[in-house]
Amino acid sequence: MKILIADDDPLTRRLLEKTLERVGYEAVSVPDGRQAVKSLSVTDAPRLALLDWMMPELDGPGVCREIRKRREQNYVYMILLTSRQSKEDTVVGLESGADDYLVKPFNSDELKARLRTGERILHLEDRLVEAREDMRFKATHDHLTTLWNRGVIMDLLGRELTRSQRENGCTAVLLGDLDHFKSVNDNQGHLVGDQVLREVARRLLLSVRSYDFVGRYGGEEFLIVLNNCRPDSAFPRAEEIRKTICTRPIQTDAGPLGVTMSLGVLLSRDWGQRPADELMREVDAALYAAKAAGRNCIRQAKPEKTRDVVSITRPAVERFR
Amino acid sequence: MNKADHSSEAASVNLDELLGRVDNDRELLCELLSIFKQEFPGYLQALQNGVARNDAGQVAGVSHTLKGMLSSLAVTKAVAAITRLEQLARAGEMSSLRAALGTFEKEVQGLIPEMDSYLAEARP
Repeated sequence: MKILIADDDPLTRRLLEKTLERVGYEAVSVPDGRQAVKSLSVTDAPRLALLDWMMPELDGPGVCREIRKRREQNYVYMILLTSRQSKEDTVVGLESGADDYLVKPFNSDELKARLRTGERILHLEDRLVEAREDMRFKATHDHLTTLWNRGVIMDLLGRELTRSQRENGCTAVLLGDLDHFKSVNDNQGHLVGDQVLREVARRLLLSVRSYDFVGRYGGEEFLIVLNNCRPDSAFPRAEEIRKTICTRPIQTDAGPLGVTMSLGVLLSRDWGQRPADELMREVDAALYAAKAAGRNCIRQAKPEKTRDVVSITRPAVERFR
Repeated sequence: MNKADHSSEAASVNLDELLGRVDNDRELLCELLSIFKQEFPGYLQALQNGVARNDAGQVAGVSHTLKGMLSSLAVTKAVAAITRLEQLARAGEMSSLRAALGTFEKEVQGLIPEMDSYLAEARP
């Protein structure tokens, strides 16, 4: 484990380096407080630090304060090492953000024991962060497919629509639904149905760009948000997605299954300032139209004088089937 | 250099304590003594300049660093003398600095030769 030693006294620095290297630490030494802050701010920085109280540029408590101001970086366990030993000094040191306090000249056994305490605290912090990230993932992702869940994909759609309106861009909204999925569940069982959903999710993710969004909107419905999408490329991309699903059978425990997807498509540019939930109604109507047209095809939601949702022309649909 | 010689009353370095502090690593001990020998004259000069200019801040800062170095080497008497100098400088008692510096200089007078003698014995 890496450990930072910050002390302006080269002799103490060397003594600490050697003492710590003997017990397996990788020591990084600096002669002043400013360099200590820098060393603790880089990628893969030490998470344990021994800081002399009095140093040029910035003292030990100053380093602690600087480091504690940070929010998003890993916790650093800091021990102030100094010849000061009054109760007032202890209070000042700990209130600056130090975790512990050791009086010079240090006893190497005591130093090692205190560092082990620091390691335990850091290990505990790692576990807490891991648990928090796990909870965050579960709260934002669909458990089965690991795609964004409905709440998050709708939120992302709303933000993307706002952004594209502000920048006069265009967002393509695709709502896809697996055709006859109920029969997969009914005939092959829900476990096979789950395998199909997972594979569809995987294929959808592979068919979009890293900055597009894919979420599970409902049981077998998937919402795909193509950010900053040129109007003339929305349809070809929807077609690629449709083909991605139907071209190869999905391997399941019940054998290979042919699966198809119907899609409704909508271009935000066609709909002015309409909010996300209204656009979802429109694209849902387009999806319904695709189902009614025989499935495994695409329909576009387009405003007209009398109707907001129209089917794309039949030749166009045919071309994309 | 044998332990008895350097643990005597005249000796400045408490060798037993120092060896314990470095886990009996004589090579490290030599390295630390060499670092001290190299750094000490500069710090002493800075201390003397600070006292000559009545610069309490400089005297306090340099005294503190020297205190750390001397403590690490277990040079007990010199640590007491430099601690006194640091305290006086922090209290702003400028009139007492010169005398306190004299005491400190006396305590460290034999230090470098003592270290030289140890290093000469320790290194073939």
